[in-house]
Amino acid sequence: MRLDLDGLKKDPPESIPAIERRQFLKMGLVVTGVFAGGTVLSLISNIQRVFASPEEFKEKYPYTPHYSMVIRQNRCIDCERCLEACRRTNHVPPYGYRTAILERTIPDAIGQKREFIPVLCMQCNNPPCVRACPTRASYKHRGNGIIMIDSKKCVGCKACMVACPYNARYFNEEKRAIDKCNFCFDTRLSKGERLTACAAACPTGARTFGDLSDPSSDVYRMVHQIERPVWVLRAEVGTRPNVFYMKA
Amino acid sequence: MKRIYVLYLFMAVVVLSLNPDTISASGEAFHGGDILYTRPLKAVLFSHRAHVEEIGLSCEACHDGIFEMSALSVQEKGDFTMESLYEGRYCGACHNGSMAFSSDSQCARCHIGVKGYKRLSQPGAVGEGHRGD
Repeated sequence: MRLDLDGLKKDPPESIPAIERRQFLKMGLVVTGVFAGGTVLSLISNIQRVFASPEEFKEKYPYTPHYSMVIRQNRCIDCERCLEACRRTNHVPPYGYRTAILERTIPDAIGQKREFIPVLCMQCNNPPCVRACPTRASYKHRGNGIIMIDSKKCVGCKACMVACPYNARYFNEEKRAIDKCNFCFDTRLSKGERLTACAAACPTGARTFGDLSDPSSDVYRMVHQIERPVWVLRAEVGTRPNVFYMKA
Repeated sequence: MKRIYVLYLFMAVVVLSLNPDTISASGEAFHGGDILYTRPLKAVLFSHRAHVEEIGLSCEACHDGIFEMSALSVQEKGDFTMESLYEGRYCGACHNGSMAFSSDSQCARCHIGVKGYKRLSQPGAVGEGHRGD
């Protein structure tokens, strides 16, 4: 079959091509959200759900709880209490990291010339690391959407490290496995704590953690508004992160 | 021989009298130099040069009413917090939004973070033209 290259139509970058969308819906996937510049868009298997029609878009998050973090970037002062709390809680070795603070200096800016940007695993809805893993050691939790690692299955090939656009993974020598942020699921959330160690340790409120599927949660309120811009890092790679950024 | 000793003695006296606090050309300790606060958290850089030389504040504007002369002594006080600043104490006496930018804005203008602290803690880093910008 010959392709008519000149006749091909380009889909606007902000939208998923219509054919892809139709196919996702056919497969039983939910498309949600128009907020944060269209980045609150989850393409997640939800086979059990039955749609009345392919056009039935659900304003509903695929996980319950749908864990998320909103980072109010301008509040970060790089005190690194979050980093200390993370190391302590998750036994992160000195050579590794689960979260980090990036620094950017703009000498020509008026007034403040320095900016700190906390980063961690974005717990993507479309995770390249999970696709890259040959042993299924990296997986997206069916209940809450957290990207987790089964360290027994990990063979240390580091394919996921290469695949991750956010550099969120490191090789843990002691575990002989890749390690990464899992929103403190094993160390805190599963034990009844409501916040990650970093969010609990932050003195300025730069990190807000919560359930994006709960309309009464702070993260829901921060993401589902249009007064202040909300963005995700490297939106162009199409990973649909669950860590959002704003200045407030 | 004796003359040379006298000359040395004279030179020593001259060198000692050049108190770096008053006439340092490099600005190393100009009007108190840079103050690096590390408590309650790391770190805030206060530049005397920026406040005295560039803005033109007098010593009396802050000393001894708002800050004691002795550098970093304010850190020992329990109320050296952002809440105090919002209530108009310490830096908040001027950084209230009308005299100078408000204490609850532009956080990273004063806060240099652990990264900034580590950079300045390297040997010979403080006082070599770093500003609290």
